Amino acid sequence: MDGPEKMERWLVSVSLVLTVILGWVAWDASGQEWEGYQKAYFRLALSRAKSEAQREWVRAQPVEIRQLQPKERGTAERCMTCHLAVDNPMFRDAPEPFREHSSLLASHPAQRFGCVVCHGGEGRAVTTLEAHGQGSILAKPLLRGDYMQAACYNCHSEETLPSKATAAVVRGRQLVNRYLCLGCHQIHGQGGEEGPDLSHVGTNRSWLWLYAHLARPQAAVVGSTMPVFSLSRAEIKDITIYLMTLLDSRDRLRNSPLLARKRTKSLPPGEPGEETGKETANGSEDSAGEKFKYDGRTFFRGAGCSLCHSIGTKGGEVGPALTYIGRKRKTEELERLLRNPEEILPGGKMPELYLNEEQIKALATYLSTLQ
Amino acid sequence: MMEPPRQVVQAFFQKLQRLLDHVYCSIFRGSYPATLKQQLAVVVNNLVLHVHPTRVSRRSIRVTSTFGLGLICFYLFVIEWITGVYLMFYYEPSVGAAYGRIQDLDSVVTFGRVVRNLHRWAAEAMVVFVVLHLCRVFYTGAYKPPREFNWVLGVLLLLLTLALSFTGYLLPWDQLSFWAVTVGANIVGYAPVLGVKLRFLLLGGDTVGGEALLRFYTLHVIAIPTVAVVLINYHIWRVVQDGGLACPEHEEARSRDSLVLTFPLVVYKELLVFVWLMAGLLVVSLLFNAPLEEEANPLQPNNPAKAPWYFLGLQELVSYSAFWGGVIVPTALTLFLLALPYVDRRPDGVGVWFARERMGMIILGSLILAGVVITIVIGVYFRGPNWNFYWPWKGWPGPD
Repeated sequence: MDGPEKMERWLVSVSLVLTVILGWVAWDASGQEWEGYQKAYFRLALSRAKSEAQREWVRAQPVEIRQLQPKERGTAERCMTCHLAVDNPMFRDAPEPFREHSSLLASHPAQRFGCVVCHGGEGRAVTTLEAHGQGSILAKPLLRGDYMQAACYNCHSEETLPSKATAAVVRGRQLVNRYLCLGCHQIHGQGGEEGPDLSHVGTNRSWLWLYAHLARPQAAVVGSTMPVFSLSRAEIKDITIYLMTLLDSRDRLRNSPLLARKRTKSLPPGEPGEETGKETANGSEDSAGEKFKYDGRTFFRGAGCSLCHSIGTKGGEVGPALTYIGRKRKTEELERLLRNPEEILPGGKMPELYLNEEQIKALATYLSTLQ
Repeated sequence: MMEPPRQVVQAFFQKLQRLLDHVYCSIFRGSYPATLKQQLAVVVNNLVLHVHPTRVSRRSIRVTSTFGLGLICFYLFVIEWITGVYLMFYYEPSVGAAYGRIQDLDSVVTFGRVVRNLHRWAAEAMVVFVVLHLCRVFYTGAYKPPREFNWVLGVLLLLLTLALSFTGYLLPWDQLSFWAVTVGANIVGYAPVLGVKLRFLLLGGDTVGGEALLRFYTLHVIAIPTVAVVLINYHIWRVVQDGGLACPEHEEARSRDSLVLTFPLVVYKELLVFVWLMAGLLVVSLLFNAPLEEEANPLQPNNPAKAPWYFLGLQELVSYSAFWGGVIVPTALTLFLLALPYVDRRPDGVGVWFARERMGMIILGSLILAGVVITIVIGVYFRGPNWNFYWPWKGWPGPD
C-alpha cells in the first residue's frame, strides 16, 4: 500500500516537472520575434550613427512594443514595433523592416492615419505572420503593389488622384460592367438580386479570397451558382482591386468630416503603391539579425495557398493539386514561379503574391518535398 | 580568533532552519504534525481541509474507486476562476472593443496567450470531466439513498457548467463565437410558448448584439459562478454528510477497519492530482492555441454555423426536427437525470462498478450516453457546409 512517504516522493518529482513546464511558459512569453527585430535595428542604428549624441540616444532606447493610436481610426496599431525607421531619413536604403517610408508619409502622418488604412494587415498583431495577415486564411493580408490603389481610392476621390494611382480601379470597374456583374449582383442599390450584394464586399473579404473566388467561385463558396468566367490573371486582379474599394462605412475614411474638407487638395506627385509593393522582394532582409524562421508547411496553410491549391485531400480546387508537385518541378523552378508566376505560367491564374525571398525559399523547399 | 568556516556555515543553516520553523509555526500554529493527535487536528482545525473526515477508508482513496474525477472538476473550476480574473483585467464587453482585446491578449499581453488558452482548454475539459464524474456516479450506483439529493445537486452543477461554457463562448466576439451562440440561442427559441421570449431574455434582443454580449459577460463572470460556488460547496459538504464514498454493504464493516488518516496521505494524494492536472493543462495550452477567427460579422454567416461542440448533438437533432431535438429531447434528458435517484431506489449494487443486480438501468443509461456521444460526434465531424453529411477522411467538402 502507498504510504505518505511514497506520496511525498511523487509530489516532489511531479512538482519538479511542473516547475520545468512553468519555465517553458516563461520562455514562451519572452524572446518574441519583434524583440529580435528591435535589437537588430538598434545595432544597425548604432553603426550608422554619426555623432556621439546620436549613439547616446540609440543606447537609451528601450526594447518595447510601440504602438500608435491613429486619430482617424481609433484602434491601436503596432506596426512600428518592427518598422522602427519609417520616419528616419538615415534609413532610406536600409533593409526591410527598417527602411524609411516613401515621401507619402509626410502628407499622410501616421499619428493621424496609422498604417493599416493604406497597407492593410492586422495592426494589433506583433508577429510577421499575423500582422501581415498571413497567420490564417481568414486574416487580412497586406495590400501590396497595384492592390494599394484600392486603399488610395478609399479616401481620395478619383479626380484628385494621379491617373496612374487609379488605373487598376478604373479598369476593374470597366470589367465589372463588361462582364455584366450587375446582372446578378447589387452595388449601392443598382443591379440584380440573384447573387449577394457587393456594396461592402471589400470589408467582408480579403483580396486573396476575392481573387480565388473570381478564379473559380465554387471553390470558395460551396454550391455557388455563379458561372466560371474565363478571366485572365490581369483581369481578375483588376476586378479584385475594384471590389476592394467597396467598403462598409466604418472602414471608409472618406466620410470623415476632417478629411472631406481637405480632399480637394491634390497629392504631391508620386506613385502610390509602387514603393511598398517592391521593397520586400529584393532579398535584403537577411541582414535583419535574429530572424523569424518560416516553416514552409505552416506558411502554405496560412498564406492562403490552400484557398486555391490542395495537398492530399485538403484545400481548394481553383489551381492544380500540389500533392506531387515536387516530382514535377525543381526547387529553383518553384522559386522562380513564386517570384513571378507570369514567367513560368504565362496567361495563368496564379496571382503575384509579393512574397519576400525568405518566404519564397521556405515555400519552395516545402513544395519540393511533396513527392 | 577566527572560527573555522565549517562551523560558521553550520551556524548559518541552523539559524535559517529556526527562522523557517518560526515562519511555519506562525502560519500553521505548531510544528509539523507528527503524532496521531496532531494529524487529526490538522484536518479539523484547517479551514480548507476540514471538509474532509479525519479518517477515510482505504477503499475510497483507491484510484479505481473514483479516478479522482470529482476532485478534478473542482480543481478545473478553481483554475477557471483564477485565469478568468486575469482575463477580466484586459477584457471589455463591448462590440467595438471585445475582439481587439482578445487579439491583444494573444499578441502583446504578458502570459496573455497562455492564460487564455488555459481558460479555454480547462473549460472544455471541465465539461468533459463533469460528464465523466456523472458517469462514474451512475455506473457505481452512488446516487442511491442516502445520496439522492447530492446527485440532484450534481445535475444542477452539470447544467451550470454548460451555461458557464456557453456564455463564455460568445465573449471573444469572433465569427466562431457569434454564429455558435446564434445557433445555440435559436435552439432555445424552439421551446413552445415561452421559447422566443426566453431567447429575448437571454440575448436582450432578437439577435446577438451588444446587449447579448454584456448580458453573457455578466452571467459568465458573476451570476453563474456565484451560484456555482454555493452549489459546489454544498455538493462537496454533502459527500461527507451522506456518509462518504458509496460502499457496498458487505464491505462496509471491513472498510471501517481499514481506515487511513486524512493527513498526510489523502491530502498529499489530492495535491498530486492537482500538480498532474496543472502540468497537463499547461502543456496543452502551450502547444495548442484557443481558436480565434475573424471579427464577428452579422452579415456573413459561417457555413456551416455550428453551436459549441457539447450542443452539437442537440443541433444534429434539431436538423431533423426543431421541436423534438430542441425541446423534447433536452427536457426529457434533464428530467430523467433529476428524477433518476427517486425512481431507482433499490439499494442493490451500490458502490460497485457495473453491478450485475442493476444491469437494466446500466444498459438504459449507456444507451442514452451513447446517443448523446454519437449525435455529438456526427455534429462535430460529419457535418459540412449546409449541414450536409460528409466522410471526414475524404476531406472537408468546402473551402477553409
